[in-house]
Amino acid sequence: MFQATDKIIFTGPVGAGKTSAIGAISDEPPVRTDVATTGSERDIKDTTTVAMDYSYISLEDGKRIHLYGTPGQERFDFMWQILTQGGLGLVLLVNNDHPDPVGQMEYYLDAFADFIRDTGVVIGITRMGVRDNASIMDYQARLFEREQVFPVFEVDGRSSEDVRILVNALLAVLEN
Amino acid sequence: MSFLDDMIDKVSEEGNRHGDDVSPQGHERLDAILSEMLDDCGDLSGAMVSASDGRALAQRLQSGLDKHRFAAMSSALLALSDNVIRETHGGEIKNVLIQSDDGNVFILHAGSGLLLTVFSRPDANLGMSLAHANKGATDIAALNLHPDGQRETA
Repeated sequence: MFQATDKIIFTGPVGAGKTSAIGAISDEPPVRTDVATTGSERDIKDTTTVAMDYSYISLEDGKRIHLYGTPGQERFDFMWQILTQGGLGLVLLVNNDHPDPVGQMEYYLDAFADFIRDTGVVIGITRMGVRDNASIMDYQARLFEREQVFPVFEVDGRSSEDVRILVNALLAVLEN
Repeated sequence: MSFLDDMIDKVSEEGNRHGDDVSPQGHERLDAILSEMLDDCGDLSGAMVSASDGRALAQRLQSGLDKHRFAAMSSALLALSDNVIRETHGGEIKNVLIQSDDGNVFILHAGSGLLLTVFSRPDANLGMSLAHANKGATDIAALNLHPDGQRETA
C-alpha cells in the first residue's frame, strides 16, 4: 500500500505555494501541519507548514504517487533531510514576488544539491504577474551560468492543471 | 528565511529576541517560569518555550544545544502529533513524550501559539516530570502572550 520509492517532494521558500500546490492535485484532502506565523513572518502570510504536507495522486495507469511538501524556512532543514529520503525527485516552487527570486532558486538548488544529483528537479515559478520582476529567461540564464539544465515553468500553484504539468514534467525527466 | 532571521538577530537586543511579538516583560516572565520549574523539580535538565511556528522565545538549555533547531523540531513533532490524534481519536493532544536511555523529552501546548519543551534526566520519575511540565505549561498559558496574534474574543 505504501511504497516510499513512489514519492516526490515539493520544496521552496516561504509563500511559494507548496501547500496550495499539493492541495490542488490531491485525490484526498492532504495531511497538513500549518500553524499561525509569528513575528516578522506574519507580514508574509498567516500560516506556515512546520512539519510536512502529505497527500497522493493516482496517475492514468493507476499508479499512486505520494506527495510530500517541506516547510520553507531554513530552521526546518532537518525535515528536508527526512522527507527526501527515498524520493523520486523534487518540485521546486519559487515565489517570483520576492526581492531576489532567482537567488532563492539558487539557494534551494544548493540546499537540495545531493538529492537533485541523485534524482531530478523541475522548477515552477509562482506569482509571475504580481510585479515586474524576474522573467523565465532570467531563471534560465542563471541556470545556464551554473551549467545546469532544468525545466522551468510559470505556474499558478493553486491550479490543478499547472501543478500536474510540473509533476508530469518531473516524471518525464526521471525517465530519461 | 535565513537572511531575515540574521537581520532580526542583528537588530534585536542580545541577539535572541528573534523578531517575535512578545514584550520584554513577557520574556522575563517566561524566563521566571522556566527557572521556577527547573528549581522545583530536580529531574528536569532543561526547558524551552517556543512559538508554534518554531521560533525560540525563552530557554534554559544545556550548553551546546541549538535553540533554533530544537524550537523547530518541537513544532514539527507537536504538529504531526496533533494530526495523529485528530485522525485517530479525534481529540486534542495533552503532550508528546519521547523516551530514551539517555533522557526524555516532553512537548506540550502552552496556550495560544506557544509550546513548552521539557528535558528530563534518564533516571527521572516520569509522572513527577510531567506534573511539573504541565504546571509550567499552565503558567505560561496564563500569561496570555499570543505570539501568533490570535486572541480570544471576549
